[in-house]
Amino acid sequence: MAEPEVYLEKLSAFSRILRMEGLTVSPKETEDASRLLITLGLDDRQRVKTALRTVYAKSREEQISFDQAFDGFFISEEAMRRQAKEQMEREKELQQHRQEAEEELQLNGRPMDLDEKQRETYAAMPEEARERLRSFMDKYRGTAERNPQLYSEFIHSVFAKTLMEQQMLLENAGLGGQELDPEIGILYRDISEFRDTEIPKAIELIQAVARQINGELSARRRAGGHTGKLDFRKTIRKGLETGGSFYHLRYKKKRAHRKHLVLLCDVSGSMVQFSEFALRFIQSLNQVSDNSRTFLFSETVTEADAFQLQNMDLFRSFVRDSGIYGKGTDLGTALEFLCTRKPAVLNSATTLLILSDTKTIDQPRALRALAEAKRQAGRVLFLNPIPEGKWQYLRSVQSVAAVCPMVSCSTLRELAAACRKLTVG
Amino acid sequence: MTYEELKAKMDDCHYIYDETLATILYVSLQLGRPLLIEGAAGVGKTEVAKVMASALGRDLVRLQCYEGLDESKALYEWNYQKQLLSIQVNMNAQDRDSLTKSLFSDEYLLERPLLQSIRSEKPVVLLIDEIDKADEEFEAFLLELLSEMQVTIPEIGTIKAKSIPFVVLTSNRARPLSEALRRRCAYLYIEYPDMEKELAILRAKLPHVDDRLCAHVALAVQKLRANDIILKKPSIAETLDWAAALDALGIRELTPDALRQTAGFVLKNNEDLDAMDLDTEEPHTCTCGGSCGGHHHG
Repeated sequence: MAEPEVYLEKLSAFSRILRMEGLTVSPKETEDASRLLITLGLDDRQRVKTALRTVYAKSREEQISFDQAFDGFFISEEAMRRQAKEQMEREKELQQHRQEAEEELQLNGRPMDLDEKQRETYAAMPEEARERLRSFMDKYRGTAERNPQLYSEFIHSVFAKTLMEQQMLLENAGLGGQELDPEIGILYRDISEFRDTEIPKAIELIQAVARQINGELSARRRAGGHTGKLDFRKTIRKGLETGGSFYHLRYKKKRAHRKHLVLLCDVSGSMVQFSEFALRFIQSLNQVSDNSRTFLFSETVTEADAFQLQNMDLFRSFVRDSGIYGKGTDLGTALEFLCTRKPAVLNSATTLLILSDTKTIDQPRALRALAEAKRQAGRVLFLNPIPEGKWQYLRSVQSVAAVCPMVSCSTLRELAAACRKLTVG
Repeated sequence: MTYEELKAKMDDCHYIYDETLATILYVSLQLGRPLLIEGAAGVGKTEVAKVMASALGRDLVRLQCYEGLDESKALYEWNYQKQLLSIQVNMNAQDRDSLTKSLFSDEYLLERPLLQSIRSEKPVVLLIDEIDKADEEFEAFLLELLSEMQVTIPEIGTIKAKSIPFVVLTSNRARPLSEALRRRCAYLYIEYPDMEKELAILRAKLPHVDDRLCAHVALAVQKLRANDIILKKPSIAETLDWAAALDALGIRELTPDALRQTAGFVLKNNEDLDAMDLDTEEPHTCTCGGSCGGHHHG
């Protein structure tokens, strides 16, 4: 066994790495870990890993981060040699791809102005994706002769967008740890990518997260104290336990005000699945008042009641029967409908929640209607299923985000965070 | 106690464990840290505490958590009735101060599980079950006990532990626990057992049941858990109940009919039972036009 100082030094470095991975590691944990190493020794790698994980990782999510950090830090000599060899081969391959990229990405006879990261992403892309980009350049090459400046800017923006999306895909593919745990994986995946078999699991997860949020809220309410007014009935009743002496005074609790929501859900084509999940989530929250109202829209608008939304089959058949399924999106008409309804749907006590990807016909009218809805409602919040990283490429998203607050909800985790924010705010 | 000794004692209790679980238990014992166990309902979290009590030869003190649990139910309470009686009896006593003092002494203190566990002369195993069901305030209240092994009672002062209990906290993850509580504990996540472990549990707990039936049950339960459509996955307790029920009915082989008859022991909601019916339905090949109800004509 090595001298204690040797592995204590290693442990301290390992603790720093764990902190960088986002784990909270105090000196107490490092001290415990060192005590364990002295007792257990370093002979059995798996036992050391289990022991250190018990000390350092305090949740299932942390266990995944810990395992990755441990496997990266305490590698065997054989694995270290293998990794070095693989790394060298990778570098060589990447260098070759970089050179190819330089030659392939010519714009008006000169190399394209792409930064190092973009060039690397291009090099790491699969051949068919690179082929698609190259054929796209060829297709528009005729424009280059007419207006070289415009062609250059256009091609550059298309490249930048495609490379960015590709990079996001590569990063997502790198989230190996989350794939170890299907429950955590489903929380982080794009809602529109759920398979049919995963939907029951996702619904179960939604219910579990909604229960968590409800639990947090009721705990916060209880901790919120009392109104200062004595509750005579409860005080006298409690006093009976102590022979009529008022040992414990009971106070009236503050009343919890539930949110009065108006939900406007886009159910055109690809939005149905997201709207279904989001509605289910929001309606599972105790903080949402029973008299909240739900409107569904595509090109026209219709109001849905709680019965029609209680499960996925009913929701889908209602959307189909109402004749709004499979049509285009007209956010302007839907918002004008809400603003002009008598008796008024929106007032200063309501929160208007819009579930849509902002893609709509007649956008200027939609923006005017959104501004009017914002004036009438107490609060407007836009839940957008498009990942935040892509917003910069979509003009419609930017225009809507300039009028009202927008939250990205492409995954269940983001949706849960948005709902938590909604109920607290 | 060494690692090997702990394993030998758990073997004596006929407890089925793997190296990971044994290491984690050894680590938390060695460090004197409370052990926080998370996992789905029915994977054997509570059982760990029971086995540890038995393996260490200690008493098990259990505190079942629920919403609204407070220190009067968990730590201590004054015996008001006895105090009032004492006041009545000593109403004419001259020394009022000593009377007041005596009212807040051990004589009138009702020990609840937490206090009982740290005032016990012999060390015990303290099980704080389903901590996620208790409120956040209660969690905060536990911090002093878990880190310092002491509690503070305003009328008496700080009570230090006479013996250090081995504390096991369990949670079904109904709500996230605070960082502060997690930091004070060693952590264990229990997953559903694999086929081999499940079969070993069945053999150990139900030695009289036919080995072939045990294998069938274990395999069927593994398949049910792997099925995404099943919402409430069967727990170990349900596996044991199911095997015992099949055995009691004299069934030696898990046929689709036997599965349908006893499915209620392993699946506990209607949607899951419907999903299983669809899975086990055999293709209808006879020419009865459906009147046979799926049974083949003899």
